[in-house]
Amino acid sequence: MEIFIAQLINAIALGSVYALLVTGFNLLVVVGGIFPFAYSHIVVLSMYMCWFAMKVTGDNLLAGILAGVFAGTGFSFITEPIFRPLAKRGAVLGSFIVAMAMSLIITEIMSQKLNMGIVISFPQSLQGEEALIRFGAATITAGQIGTVVGSIGAGFGFFFLLYRTKQGRAFRAMGQSPFSARLLGIPIVKTRIYAYIIAGLLGGISAVFLAMALGTASSSLGDNLALKVMAVAMFAGVGNLGGGLVAALILGLSEGMVLAYLPGDWSQAIAFGMIMVVVMIRPKGLFGTMA
Amino acid sequence: MVENNVLKVEDLHVSYGPIRALRGVSIEVQEGEIVVLIGANGAGKTTLVESILGITHAQSGRVLFMGREITHAKTEHIVASGISLIPEGRGILPLMTVMENLQLGAHHVKGDANENLGLIYKCFPVLRDRTKQMAGTLSGGEQQMLSIARGLMSKPKLMMLDEPSLGLAPTIMRELFKTIVELNKTGYTILLSEQNARQALQCAHRGYVFETGEVVLSGAAQELANNKRVLQAYLGGVI
Repeated sequence: MEIFIAQLINAIALGSVYALLVTGFNLLVVVGGIFPFAYSHIVVLSMYMCWFAMKVTGDNLLAGILAGVFAGTGFSFITEPIFRPLAKRGAVLGSFIVAMAMSLIITEIMSQKLNMGIVISFPQSLQGEEALIRFGAATITAGQIGTVVGSIGAGFGFFFLLYRTKQGRAFRAMGQSPFSARLLGIPIVKTRIYAYIIAGLLGGISAVFLAMALGTASSSLGDNLALKVMAVAMFAGVGNLGGGLVAALILGLSEGMVLAYLPGDWSQAIAFGMIMVVVMIRPKGLFGTMA
Repeated sequence: MVENNVLKVEDLHVSYGPIRALRGVSIEVQEGEIVVLIGANGAGKTTLVESILGITHAQSGRVLFMGREITHAKTEHIVASGISLIPEGRGILPLMTVMENLQLGAHHVKGDANENLGLIYKCFPVLRDRTKQMAGTLSGGEQQMLSIARGLMSKPKLMMLDEPSLGLAPTIMRELFKTIVELNKTGYTILLSEQNARQALQCAHRGYVFETGEVVLSGAAQELANNKRVLQAYLGGVI
């Protein structure tokens, strides 16, 4: 029983990070006007940066967190000009192709140049040295609690931004109608840049939480995550922020529980099974797209 | 005198690829006027209005606003300098509330954004009761009011309305034109583009008649309303 609860906690932690990832993804879809396939790869790259920072500072937790967050924000920011002409023309498929190319490049860099392609392992200090709560044979680490609480916090922060601030209104306006947004004097290019920055910030935070939740990372993690993020987004309806959250939690939970009881990497198969079913029955996703 | 000229368009040429949408159009709007552009669908009225706002690129010609050239300026700067466009089809954001739509109208306003709300609620009392309602659930007439109200939030020096009567029932249309006249009386300068020539000419000071991208007639609204050619083409024929 205790093992089950421990697995459940892990699954919730995983689900909440997926929720953050999908939120960042959807933001780029809705405001950025692109299909950000390489978003997860940027997140994994940020995980590597977190790992490097901890390596050179002797496992300093703060250094790792800052490195991950700044890397995510920075990398996302520099990709904006690349997608700008595509977003301007509404070339979503084109952006998907460019994003795939980017993801291939990032994956190669990670597999050839970073840590000589060996799987990286995050130090225990990221998880919290001692278990915070112990019951029977199961433990809950500070890392897991931090992930769930942090993801909820980041999620709330994001939704506050979106629904209670001027900039958030501008984001939603652009998502619903770039033409109307333009008429209202909303600076289109600047607003997109802000979206990339915020998506990058969410990505950087996700990178740190993923490092805590997974404990390791490798060059293939980018593709693995990208497919899951895509699955969740399509399951919920691409661009649907609220729906994406729910779907992410469902995926995280099912994956976490499956990982505990089935051999091998069935999680990818489940993710794809989900996309397949939903796309066949309701191509717009379970909750409908924003458009 | 240049000072009273809110808007001056000089010999504007706009093409969409091989299609010449505007061929050397010149118009002007003085402070406190209602100027109307009449003409059929595709005559170039929307193109002109969008070019003024910098949404469509002009090949040649000039647009001057309050004496300053804005021909190739960015839309966000043009809007910030005081021009509002109430577009054809209303352009309201259906998935946002009435209040949020209004707030967006004042997006670029630096000071207190709710300054103009008092006037807006006076002109459009129905909006006051529906601030939390989703804009997409409003009726056509209410959406049009919201669109105009949104345009007013920033206290623009020039309001441009593109086919505001489109899709509205006749009674609502009358209310709309009454509102436009009232707004003008409170000091708003208005450029109105309309297919509904009769009502538009009744409330305007001056007008321009558009045909295939050119201004073919211009003058005082009353004169245009009595002009044979205008009567024939737009007002149902000479009696």
